[in-house]
Amino acid sequence: MDFKRFDLMRRNVGPVELDLIESYAQKKINRRDFVKRGTIVGLSAPFMGAVIAACGSDAAEEGAGTDTEGTGSGAATGTVGGNLIIGNQFGDANSGLDPATMLDLGTYNVVSQCFEYLVGLGDDGNIAATALATSWSPNADGSVWTFELRDGPVWQGSGEPLTSADVAATMDRAVEFGNAGLAGVIGEGSVDASDPTKAVITLLEPNGNFPVLVSLFNTQSLITPADYSTGTTLDERPDGTGAWKLDSFDPTTFVATYSRNENWWGGSTNLDTIELRGFSDIGTAVTAMSSREIDVIQNFSVIGGEGLLNDDSFNVLTPPSSNHRQVPFNVQQGKWNNPQIRQALAYTFDREQMVNTLFAGRADIANDHPITSGLPFFDADATPQRTRDIEMAKQLIADSGITDLTGTIECGDLGEIPEFAQIIQQNAAEAGFDFQVNVQSNSTFYGDSWCPGPSETDPNLPCDGSADLDIVDWGHRPTPDIFLGAALSSGGVWNGSNYANPEFDQKLSDYRTSVDVAGQKEAIGSIQSILHEDAPALYAYFFNYLAGHADTVSGVQTTALGHVIVSGASKDA
Amino acid sequence: MTDIDNSGAETEGASSGSMAPAQDRKTVKQEQRKELFATPSFIIGAVILSFWVLCSIVPGLFTKWGENEVIRLADGSTIPRTGPGANAWFGTDTIGNDVFARVIYGADNVLINAPISALIAVLAGAVLGLTMGYYRGLVDEILSRIIEAILSLPVILLALMVVVVFGNSRIVIVLTIAALFTPVVARTVRSAVTSEAQLDYVMSAKLRGESGWFIMMKEIFPNITNVLIVEFTVRVGYAIFTVATLSFLGLGAGDQSAADWGVDIANGYSLIQSGQWWISIFPALAIASLVISVNLIADSIEKVYNS
Amino acid sequence: MVRFIVRRLLLSIVTLFIILLVVFALTRVFPSDPAKQLAGPFASEERVAQLTESLGLDDPLPTQFFRLVRDVVTLDFGESFSQPGVRVIDLVRPALWNSAKLVFLALMITLPLSIVGGIVAARKKDTIIDRSIVSFGLASASIPDFVSGVLLQFIIGVQLGWLPSISNAPADAGFFGQLEYILLPALAILFVYFGYIARITRAGAVTALDSDYARTAYMKGMSTSEVVRKHVLKNALQPTVAVTGTQMGYLFGGLVGLERVFNYPGLGNLILRAALAPDFPLLQTSVVAVAVIFMIATLTSDLIIAWMNPRARLDVGEN
Repeated sequence: MDFKRFDLMRRNVGPVELDLIESYAQKKINRRDFVKRGTIVGLSAPFMGAVIAACGSDAAEEGAGTDTEGTGSGAATGTVGGNLIIGNQFGDANSGLDPATMLDLGTYNVVSQCFEYLVGLGDDGNIAATALATSWSPNADGSVWTFELRDGPVWQGSGEPLTSADVAATMDRAVEFGNAGLAGVIGEGSVDASDPTKAVITLLEPNGNFPVLVSLFNTQSLITPADYSTGTTLDERPDGTGAWKLDSFDPTTFVATYSRNENWWGGSTNLDTIELRGFSDIGTAVTAMSSREIDVIQNFSVIGGEGLLNDDSFNVLTPPSSNHRQVPFNVQQGKWNNPQIRQALAYTFDREQMVNTLFAGRADIANDHPITSGLPFFDADATPQRTRDIEMAKQLIADSGITDLTGTIECGDLGEIPEFAQIIQQNAAEAGFDFQVNVQSNSTFYGDSWCPGPSETDPNLPCDGSADLDIVDWGHRPTPDIFLGAALSSGGVWNGSNYANPEFDQKLSDYRTSVDVAGQKEAIGSIQSILHEDAPALYAYFFNYLAGHADTVSGVQTTALGHVIVSGASKDA
Repeated sequence: MTDIDNSGAETEGASSGSMAPAQDRKTVKQEQRKELFATPSFIIGAVILSFWVLCSIVPGLFTKWGENEVIRLADGSTIPRTGPGANAWFGTDTIGNDVFARVIYGADNVLINAPISALIAVLAGAVLGLTMGYYRGLVDEILSRIIEAILSLPVILLALMVVVVFGNSRIVIVLTIAALFTPVVARTVRSAVTSEAQLDYVMSAKLRGESGWFIMMKEIFPNITNVLIVEFTVRVGYAIFTVATLSFLGLGAGDQSAADWGVDIANGYSLIQSGQWWISIFPALAIASLVISVNLIADSIEKVYNS
Repeated sequence: MVRFIVRRLLLSIVTLFIILLVVFALTRVFPSDPAKQLAGPFASEERVAQLTESLGLDDPLPTQFFRLVRDVVTLDFGESFSQPGVRVIDLVRPALWNSAKLVFLALMITLPLSIVGGIVAARKKDTIIDRSIVSFGLASASIPDFVSGVLLQFIIGVQLGWLPSISNAPADAGFFGQLEYILLPALAILFVYFGYIARITRAGAVTALDSDYARTAYMKGMSTSEVVRKHVLKNALQPTVAVTGTQMGYLFGGLVGLERVFNYPGLGNLILRAALAPDFPLLQTSVVAVAVIFMIATLTSDLIIAWMNPRARLDVGEN
């Protein structure tokens, strides 16, 4: 341990960063978590490297430090030029290419080729300073974050450079819309744009994870020009600072074509043009990938994708994913308004069967809360893993006093969700539940069943009239803020369960405002217990997000939220 | 498909000319029935149909697995997406249910909904056709226009719109299909009635002073029962077509996890390309066999009763 | 003749009006609110109200209907609800064109095969050939299009690999390249219609072959094939033309299941998506398009029959 060097570093950072460095030095967190958290907090890579060097490398604490999570396929090695075809999910009929209101992976991918985020993607699948911000740092208590804007990005439409005024306008628009990641975190006028090269963002309360909320992991936080009005879509007004310019978009076939943006700050892309081709059915996309009609596939599933997984000339990409399917109850209005009956259902779940049948093992079992075990603040001791126990389920049913065990599981027709519903139905039947399954088209499900709209009178009923029991798809986020905030906090915009527990809200606030790992861990541990007991929603698994490309392509980066970043990609001729 | 009007090119007319006395009518009918039961196509059709009817009544007779029951081997493991083999004659579906069981259990959905809609359509169409064909005039004109309007759109389109609006319950589906088939039946009945209405026995009934209702019911109706029977059997075929298509599109009745041939095809057709064909192909063959059997029966009835 | 056409056109307009009324009524009873769908789940109530107003959905119903009729008459079909800013006509046109391509190919295959099949069956009446053709036709008729589609996709597309199993032709495929991609669904349509057309052709041919005219021709020394060409064909074709005309509505808008199996972006697929969104202008326009096609087709087929058969001209207009 090089104390002299270490002390020098400690002196030059704020309290937030300091706590993190201390935790690492005292071995409270391992190197991988230090790097992850350090990136979020805004430490630069060289700086972190120096800290690590100063602390001396310790073989014992390597842990999962060297993990190649396969989010990208390495540096591009192919020829310059050419066209790349990406098989994309067909965008939902609901929003059009609107960067503020888009909700589905297909649209995220199309729109994020042209617009960019403040915070980008790193090689290891975490956030990094690879987009519009070159660095960021918090103030003493994490309530004000300053982002240094990159010098170079210009708008395709006007030719003007990016300034903090654009960031300010984007943030205000996000607040106006109720952006899921930023709701309750920032308010109107949060961005101080007096210096055009810096965006100084003041939060409503301290938040240790803020940079994640303005990264590509908050998909609707794309930076749009200051004069971009509400409801404008990309095809109406093609614009952006990104590597690609939209040439054409056909909504009937959901095909978008792009050509190189000559004025992109990142230089010249290898590829000349790219095409995102929409497939309304994953099976069809898999076939197209197998026959090499497309070069890259945005997402495919294990069911039906066995051919690709066994194909030697196909590279599978598995970006880090906390993707899961949430099974919320409508705890205030449905018949399952009793924690015992909800726990009973949880005890009928045969989680191993679900993971094996639906994902051939490419998934991790979850424990009825949305905190993945890889997170540094996950508390392994707080909640023992719930396992299948039919007797316990029956007992809880009896205790709850509910005798009518009929019900309907509502779901959309995305991926393996209908099959998941069937397994739940069969598992639950053994304890006496009598469920029907109602599969709707994804747009109809999200429009009508999941969260029809907020109650006019009760702010704690954000999803008035949502289904008694349904299955909701959640894309990856590197931190569970959205899974906890938008999904489960009182009045949360995506809170289909209408869960309103002041104790939970308090712990959530504690987690958010903690900027030190210990504080986060304590809050999260409580959250895990609360959710495990109350069971407003059940979580059975976190599944691996699968994407991939032919081995003639290289330099592709993906996220588990549908982004396919090909600004650095190339293709063999 | 759009219902092909059966009063078209091939048949020579619904009745055999002037009215036969009641006694002769009965013997003719008896002979027709005997002839029917001896026709080979009728027999084959009836056998296949009876098999499916039996499946819908006592499915347990044919399979030990339930429709919503994942096959578990002796060691408790499941075998999802496995091809036909010793454990599952028709293979297993995406989560491991027995496809053979789902084919057997899937019969009742189609076998209940289709004939009921066809029956309602035939009865309603008969009433309408009788009224239009007998009274003619303005009522006939207006109803004919409305019928033409409905017939210009394919049944499946109207059915899907109605189901999206009113929900996919069994009652909605049965009544919708019945309502959409009524016009075709009405048109067929109407043309049969108009030719009957010109015959002597109707004239004499009118002269006797019988009421219109009486004439329609007691005089004309018995002579067009053949038309109705043929229409019914043909409509059942198209009703199966429509019910199966609605299920395939995800608009089928009720519980989407219950065994249903259309639903199972929908769940499995994209897997055909990756080699897991059995999930869709067996239900597809089931639908095909049912339709063929109904067609064979319809065809033999038509031949016998219209000769 | 002119009077006939005029009368038919007037009747068609009345029918179209009724269809428009029915579709309008259905859409206004839709459970989903298109304004809400469009606004998205986080939208505020003001935004939803704003959208409702801009979409014209809060006007009294008769006003909305009148607006719809006026739009249809002026051929201005408005903008799609679900794809903001996209004109409905730009969504319907490509789907219509795709359906037309498929129907064209299907008819090119089905009509000759079925008619020939029917005539052969009639000439070889009561032989094994006749029975086989009739039985095959019987068997395949009214098997749902998507069922034949799935079976064909499996056998020919996947197992034998003779044709592509999905109808997504790459953008640069030439005319014949595109045909290859829609051959399988066209074959599925063949199965649906072969039986019916072959049988009515056969019936017509049987009558014609037995008729006095034919007998006279034989006596005069004409060969059977000449008789077939000159006399039988015309008579046998009439019912086929009639049937084809009436089935056009189904072929353009009713192949929803088949299009889904082959992932083909035809009109049926478009209507289904419009109904699920729900996208009222798109739904109304595409349904009207189907009805118009049906009307044009039946009018055309009646005119063709009248041209072919002078005797039918007398009762043209009767229908």
